[in-house]
Amino acid sequence: MLSRSAKHLYWLARYIERCENIARMVDVNLELILDFPIDHSLNWKSLIDTLDINYIYEKKYKKYNEENVINFLFEGKTNYSSMRNCLDMAKFNIENVRDDLPKTASIALNHLYDHLNKESISRIHKRKILPHVTETVNLTQEFFSSINDNLSRGYEFEFIRLGRFLERVDMISRIIDCLCITKSEKQTYDFSSMEWISLLSILSAQDAFRKISKGEVDRGEVINFLLKNDSFPRSLTRCLTILRLCLESLPNNENIILKIRSLRLRFDVSTFDKFDDEKLHNFLDKCQKDLTSIDNLVEQNYF
Amino acid sequence: MNVILSIAKYTNNHMKLNWSNYDLSDSFDEYISSKKSVRRHIKKIGNFFESLSSKEMEELDLATKAAIKSLGINFRVYSEGESSERTWPLDFIPRIIRKKEWDLVSKGLKQRTKALNLFIEDCYNEQKFFKHSTMNKDLILKSKYFFSFCKNIKLPNSSWSHICGSDLIKDIDGNFNVLEDNLRIPSGVSYMLENRYVMKRVFPDLFSHYGVSRIDEYPLRLYETLVESSFKKIKKPEIVLLTPGIYNSAYYEHSYLAQQMGIDLVEGRDLIVKKGFVYKKTIEGLEKIDVIYRRVDDEFLDPEVGNPDSVIGVKGLIKCWKKQNVSIVNAPGCGIADDKAVYNYVPEMINFFLKEDPVLPNIKTYLMSNKKERDYVFENIRKMVIKPVAEAGGYGIVIGKTLTNKTKEDVIKKVLSNTKNYVAQPLINLSTTPTYDKDIVAPRHLDLRPFILSGKNVYVTIGGLTRVALKKGSTVVNSSQGGGSKDTWIVDV
Repeated sequence: MLSRSAKHLYWLARYIERCENIARMVDVNLELILDFPIDHSLNWKSLIDTLDINYIYEKKYKKYNEENVINFLFEGKTNYSSMRNCLDMAKFNIENVRDDLPKTASIALNHLYDHLNKESISRIHKRKILPHVTETVNLTQEFFSSINDNLSRGYEFEFIRLGRFLERVDMISRIIDCLCITKSEKQTYDFSSMEWISLLSILSAQDAFRKISKGEVDRGEVINFLLKNDSFPRSLTRCLTILRLCLESLPNNENIILKIRSLRLRFDVSTFDKFDDEKLHNFLDKCQKDLTSIDNLVEQNYF
Repeated sequence: MNVILSIAKYTNNHMKLNWSNYDLSDSFDEYISSKKSVRRHIKKIGNFFESLSSKEMEELDLATKAAIKSLGINFRVYSEGESSERTWPLDFIPRIIRKKEWDLVSKGLKQRTKALNLFIEDCYNEQKFFKHSTMNKDLILKSKYFFSFCKNIKLPNSSWSHICGSDLIKDIDGNFNVLEDNLRIPSGVSYMLENRYVMKRVFPDLFSHYGVSRIDEYPLRLYETLVESSFKKIKKPEIVLLTPGIYNSAYYEHSYLAQQMGIDLVEGRDLIVKKGFVYKKTIEGLEKIDVIYRRVDDEFLDPEVGNPDSVIGVKGLIKCWKKQNVSIVNAPGCGIADDKAVYNYVPEMINFFLKEDPVLPNIKTYLMSNKKERDYVFENIRKMVIKPVAEAGGYGIVIGKTLTNKTKEDVIKKVLSNTKNYVAQPLINLSTTPTYDKDIVAPRHLDLRPFILSGKNVYVTIGGLTRVALKKGSTVVNSSQGGGSKDTWIVDV
């Protein structure tokens, strides 16, 4: 397989997965607001914090309100992680490797592209924004399920998976981290369980979580579930397992597998339910750094 | 107003298509005879279209466009330094050619391409043809596509232009003529295949009733041709398709063909030359290449021999080719025969190399370098089309009847400044076929580009890519200049 094709496939998957995660975050925030319509402490800033793009945001907007944040996340030209920009990059990457992918994958990406470009998000009626965002998530899933159902297991498939799950680990660790560090002191309602439930729902994890933990939602259990559950596909350790499996099917993989093993080991020996917010933040911060070095190794070994 | 078949959107049920109201022009129409009757082999589909309401017509048009959009069939257009992606224009009314007629055309194309390939090999080797022809040697030897590094090279099956796209037009009597042969890197075949793919989805019922010949074997035949071009007889040579990249106007096609054949689509930067061999850079290291189907122009193929600034080529590639370590398809230097002045001698080539009479007629071509012919052209300029000899894509063509006194002087001056660079042909009244154009069905001019593959055997596509001028009266069919396309049906009736 061409090195350049591998690179395009990897980035194609990363951009679409990023798009999906951003849509998920917006989706959940929109829904949460419906439950607390008059509470102004519930803020949109945390979404910008999660992506660590406040400095770009503040060049354009003063206030962190719903309209601005959604516009910025969907269509912000200067926001390199906006869904529009991610999709443009995904389009660029798929152009280069269209011949390696099933036709249905291109068609699915075209649907997603048309969905987001048909109308500017600022012109969509408030009542229709939520379904619009939900549909965005569905369409990204249509792309990946077309890959899962139609692409032979081989290098092409593995590079897509590699990109997708590295992006996922990165985003999930950011989302959890963000909850830990930005918790508002001025909360006017009982947010303690709400915030963890919303976290679960961003990751479509409520049902899976409910199956193993009944009753009142407990912070420690949620954190353990999202970080250490080895069967749920959006839990960090599960993602690491998938990354290891991908790499085992690729040549020239020793140093990256080693890196993933050592990261995984740190997860295994940690008892997250006993971690306070600060400790958890430090752990995830270190985890982010490891992800960067894994990404660098992928670049060095294959592209 | 000549528009008769105007279908008003709001009176749907009344304004149906009726062939007796069809706005025939003075050209040969492939559906409707000059007596306004539907031609015999068209009857079935002619009746079908008459049975549709204007609403249904509109729906067919929308369904066609939606299918193309969802499949992402597009092409890139450059104008004034800007490039943009456009959706491929397909008209849903098919062009229909009888199988019997096509078989003869196909025979003529095979003959033509064989002669052209033998001619190219002869030019780089014995040069026997010049001795028997009135052709001026310099036409070839001084051509910008003549490369001295090709001298004394013989290729497997004498194939130089392995993939040739010839442009055919139907004249006022309804006979096919060859307008030009594109021997370098002709494009369009993917659109021929995609047009069929879309049409099958839009008209599943028609295909089952009509007995349309299949066209989908092309990628397989192309693959075989590439295998047969290899210098070494290997069963599964390593083949790649070399593209200039995603911003090339034909990139869609490059990607499509690579996918259909299951070969890697590479850019110059993915290849590297080492010790006389070409390799591709893979995630497992370097892998040797045997055949390159290149869609990069000669000039940019190898910065060592062509344009030194080329970043889309591969340094040292030509040396590997000369050592017969890699085959290049189409071969470098095959462009010498892709010239509108050389075109004039093709019937002679057929006589000389094959000892046969040409099956397909050429269009009379006047060489502007010849004083007598030039004077004739200038005297009859309103009946002529003047063309630069080595341009593609319809650029630089002057249609005599559109000239004013002022522009006429300019054209004459331009031609006189470099007479060798121009030829002229009488303006041919291209045939027409009904075409859907915003609520009306009206005749539009068209041409046809079949593709001819030369390996051990010669293969001709079943039909080809029909290109249609979408504006009334226009004969410019190039998609880069607003032309559209049609699916071409070869039917046994």
